[in-house]
Amino acid sequence: MPLNDELQQQLIKDLLIESTEGLDRFDREMLVLEKGQGTPETLNVIFRVIHTIKGTAGCLGLPKIESVAHVGENLLDSLREGKLTSTPEMITTLLAYADALRAMLESLETTGNEGSADYSILLQQLQDFLTGKPVATAQATPPAPAPAAKQTWGLFDDEPAVSAPAAPASESTPPPAPSAPPPVLMENTGAEKEVATRGHSASDSAIRVDVGQLDKLMNLVGELVLARNQIVQFTNQAQDPTFLNASQRLNNITTELQEGVMKTRMQPIGNIWAKFPRVVRDVSLELGKSVQLVMEGKETDLDRTIIEAIKDPLTHIVRNAIDHGIEMPNVRRAAGKPDEGMLILRAFHEGGQVNIEIMDDGHGINIARVKQKAVEKGLITQENAARMSDRESFNLIFLPGFSTAEKITNVSGRGVGMDVVKTNIEKIGGSVDVQSEAGKGSTIKIKIPLTLAIIPALIVTSRGERFAIPQVSLLELVRLEADQAKKGIEMLYGAPVYRLRGQLLPLAHLNKELALDASPSAVTTTTGASKETQRAEEQAVNIVILQADGRQFGLVVDEINDTEEIVVKPLAKQFKGINCFAGATIMGDGKVALILDVLGLAQHANVINEVRDRSLTDKVKTDSRASDRQTLLLFDVGEGGRMAIPLSMVARLEEFPRSQVERSGSQEVVQYRGQILPLIRVADYVRAAAGADSKGGDLMQVVVYSEQGRSVGLVVGSINDIVEEAVTVRRDAIGDGILGSAVIQNKVTDLLDVAAVIRSADPSFYNTGRPAVELAA
Amino acid sequence: MSKTIITVDDAATMRKMISFTLKGAGHDVIEAGDGVEALKALQTRQVDLVITDVNMPNMDGITLTRSLRALPQFARTPIVLLTTESSPEKKAEGKAAGATGWIVKPFQQEQLLAVVSKVLGI
Repeated sequence: MPLNDELQQQLIKDLLIESTEGLDRFDREMLVLEKGQGTPETLNVIFRVIHTIKGTAGCLGLPKIESVAHVGENLLDSLREGKLTSTPEMITTLLAYADALRAMLESLETTGNEGSADYSILLQQLQDFLTGKPVATAQATPPAPAPAAKQTWGLFDDEPAVSAPAAPASESTPPPAPSAPPPVLMENTGAEKEVATRGHSASDSAIRVDVGQLDKLMNLVGELVLARNQIVQFTNQAQDPTFLNASQRLNNITTELQEGVMKTRMQPIGNIWAKFPRVVRDVSLELGKSVQLVMEGKETDLDRTIIEAIKDPLTHIVRNAIDHGIEMPNVRRAAGKPDEGMLILRAFHEGGQVNIEIMDDGHGINIARVKQKAVEKGLITQENAARMSDRESFNLIFLPGFSTAEKITNVSGRGVGMDVVKTNIEKIGGSVDVQSEAGKGSTIKIKIPLTLAIIPALIVTSRGERFAIPQVSLLELVRLEADQAKKGIEMLYGAPVYRLRGQLLPLAHLNKELALDASPSAVTTTTGASKETQRAEEQAVNIVILQADGRQFGLVVDEINDTEEIVVKPLAKQFKGINCFAGATIMGDGKVALILDVLGLAQHANVINEVRDRSLTDKVKTDSRASDRQTLLLFDVGEGGRMAIPLSMVARLEEFPRSQVERSGSQEVVQYRGQILPLIRVADYVRAAAGADSKGGDLMQVVVYSEQGRSVGLVVGSINDIVEEAVTVRRDAIGDGILGSAVIQNKVTDLLDVAAVIRSADPSFYNTGRPAVELAA
Repeated sequence: MSKTIITVDDAATMRKMISFTLKGAGHDVIEAGDGVEALKALQTRQVDLVITDVNMPNMDGITLTRSLRALPQFARTPIVLLTTESSPEKKAEGKAAGATGWIVKPFQQEQLLAVVSKVLGI
């Protein structure tokens, strides 16, 4: 009766799980032993792990694993029995040995066989530990056990073993011994006590469930929710109280079931942290550093898909922190720190997100060196570097192709940079930030969503269709009533912008981006509202302020509904190419709503002008935008008079009919927002052809500039564009209302000296004694 | 013919395999993860045979054997030690504790069944 294949497969699967857990325990206890904190039980636990693997593997017909396990078992047995004392080298070899077993198990899992790797050197080392010591006795057996040659079983009261494949019992001590075993009582009471204190074992209260099974359950629950929703919808029209009751119960139970299944997918983050003590040990040993690892919040729960996704990034950060962060013991001592470095992993829930922090007490990030490296690698320019804030400089380490290590070490120089870490974390909707203080250490802060399966989202409506916007991208909501909307939304070069607390935000209309027709259904659904309110609704503007790739924009929608927890369903693969959508979800009424991919939508709408996958230098430019790039308003003041001013100096852009221009003394003015706005014709004050702004028909283009509550309108020929560029100013064109010139959009452009122009037009404008505004170019 | 057998091993895979083999031969099988669990299970049940691993956490197989032998209802129940340790000292220790026989891991299913038949007299 051989084991049938299916059972054999099942048993091998069990062996894999059991052994993997066992080897983790092995590592953990080994480290305890290494610290000299081991108890006799420590060695027993370690021994048993290998003992179990050997026994099980042997029975399952896995000779290689069995024989490798056997060698280690002998050494561990000697250690356990006190015939040998552990040395650091021995522990290192034993850890490598555990890795060898892992490798074989992994091979077994992926390829179905034990792999062909040769461990003879490792095994010889283990063997040498055994034989090298004079105390080691006959225990030192050859690597491979030869079960076939030995007697495999026997009975103590039977003289010859029954039909054993090998020779009869070698040791013949015949007298049967079922007689009274001696002093049992002591042991017995001990055992009773253990029963009492232990209660039930872990195997009574926990079972293993296949992950695929959990995923299937999750899907089914999603379907159940859909069905429930339809029933509830139906219930609203039904009268039968029994049916109402039943449907209410169904409703409640479904909700609870959904929560329950969600919980089964949660795993404590400690599961992936468990291997870090070993990682920290190996890396610090390799580098000759001494590091203490502290873990806080191991029990913080996360969805298993997320756990999987952050495993590698976290490992990389930990390696990096030891390699680049924590100093050599002598350096630490010189700096007045304890020899042993401290690495703290902390996880906690906050605001529906999981925060993970990795702190080290090393030397911190050397800003100068980071900048220098970034410049050397051509990631940023020298000027960029000079102008960067500390925080921006720290974040340079996340740029592709960045590595500050003076030499590529085995530890962190693995071709995977922090940029990959960042990308991987952002892929699951998370974010990474780094803080550092020179001499004190660095902290990397990661924020990730609890789960990818159910996310909080804002539901919006556009043309009668509902869409879900993931809350992580959401910054704020703005509603402009009809009259506010008229004033608040400005047009810049044909593109709508909204000024939010002094910052110009590009706007995108959801209905236009998705080409949603103004369908009749949109009108008919609002029949309840009176025509009056309907018109008001139509004219009021709802803006959802979103963030994508670190940049903000406003999305105009018809209606903002509510925030909801939505179940994310992937889109069918024929829709994968459409980057405006991240997935779909089923709404309370059973209808499907599409989930917007904010970044994709922003790119589609062209409201963030950089595409993420552009070349390296472009990306860097974007990242360093805040410090050295300027947003400039381009206009002209007549033939060839192409000029620019920083957009930050612009309060508003207005158009006035020439007929509205009045005079106050010698000053041209217009009435503007209940006040008198003096006008300055820029062309009169710069070298460009005077009077050129008289062209352009009936409308005058006016740039409104405000300073300390006073405003002035700069009349220009036409407003051309808004660009964002790093500008290098040539000063040789200074004078006559011009600060200098620069090449913008491949054309020579003069930078208007706004302050000088205003001063020459109205010397009293800046009479507050403040220095004139300077163009920071 | 059908007998009740308890298999005691801290390795679930091993328990499963033994259990499968014995059930295939028509026996009822109880599983326990260590000596303590086994003693607990045997407080309320009588079995015809105990098959126990030697090296286990909490309570090893030798101690389990001794503890069972101290109980009148288990004074004569066959106890077979299942072990990777085939050294004569270990065997002697098992014998002194009152074990009936031993099987060295790894074993073939046929061997396990042969031992079981032999000690149960079937």
